[in-house]
Amino acid sequence: MSGPAASPPGTVAALQSALAAEEAAVYGYGIVGANLTGSPQAAAKAGWVAHQTAADALEAMLQSRGAQPTAAAAGYLLPITVRSDSEAVSLAVILEDRIEAAYLGLVALNSTAIRQFGALQLRAAALRAAAWRGSTVAFPGLPASALAAPQRHES
Amino acid sequence: MAALPTRRVVLAAGATLPLAAMAGCGGVDVLAAPPRPAPDVEVLRSAIAAEQLMIARYAAVLRDGSGSARPAGGGSPATMSADLDRLLAPLLAQHKAHLAQLRSRLIVPAGSRAAGPPPSGHSPGTPTVPAAPAAAVAFLRAAEQAAATAMLNRLPHAPAPVAQLFASISASEATHVPVLDAALRAAG
Repeated sequence: MSGPAASPPGTVAALQSALAAEEAAVYGYGIVGANLTGSPQAAAKAGWVAHQTAADALEAMLQSRGAQPTAAAAGYLLPITVRSDSEAVSLAVILEDRIEAAYLGLVALNSTAIRQFGALQLRAAALRAAAWRGSTVAFPGLPASALAAPQRHES
Repeated sequence: MAALPTRRVVLAAGATLPLAAMAGCGGVDVLAAPPRPAPDVEVLRSAIAAEQLMIARYAAVLRDGSGSARPAGGGSPATMSADLDRLLAPLLAQHKAHLAQLRSRLIVPAGSRAAGPPPSGHSPGTPTVPAAPAAAVAFLRAAEQAAATAMLNRLPHAPAPVAQLFASISASEATHVPVLDAALRAAG
């Protein structure tokens, strides 16, 4: 019923970009997990599963809009070389930051359901990123350019 | 808190404000009914009020934690408050950053009663917070969780750029919960 005409073109593009970020995260988390042991490795496995699940949800959302989900690539160029456990953690943080930005794209859409989905996925990514980073940030997913420079310091 | 003042305010989201609207604001007030703020302005105002409340709660806990009014017999108050300060300070700083960004999205016409920083009467004052450190942390944890959820509920009513800010702030507040959980475990 909700054919392609029901979704503005921006919706499909934003869903495709979130899917691409999730597919890259699935691939990247494989590398992350391979370089970790013990409970960090368990966290990496949980992250891998979460990203795979999110990718599946995005594929279903695209298909319900009559769009063909873009297939995952066989491999992805990683933003950093991972040879140690600390580099693996750094990669996990980068992957989650990219995921956050992709889901903020969904929050900009007009559909309330997609906004909510994007915001919940953003939260999940922010929680994982904070766990890897060991600290929290004020504006997960928002680039500095999206933030107004404060005109004056308020207490 | 629900009864928002009917002040003339506009969102910064579009940034295409006709100058005439600003220039004419002095005379419009004499008309019979003051114009109601648009729903997106109200939702931004409620988000600002929510952040002000969170900041006031953190400030109250930090004040209690480092003050001398700690009840006796609570272990080692000095150490506990130093730990609590170290833990809570970054979270408080993030809430202040949230508030600054939310305020930056709201343009208040010059001459309006709401111009400038909100008067102190508009802020929630000093909220009551539990005195015992563990109870105070548990209180903040519950407040963070509720604030994160309330921020999500504002999404449908906000223009896209503001919705993105709300979503990001909600996510940030959600990440504060595990930090406070860890503090609770450390407090035993």
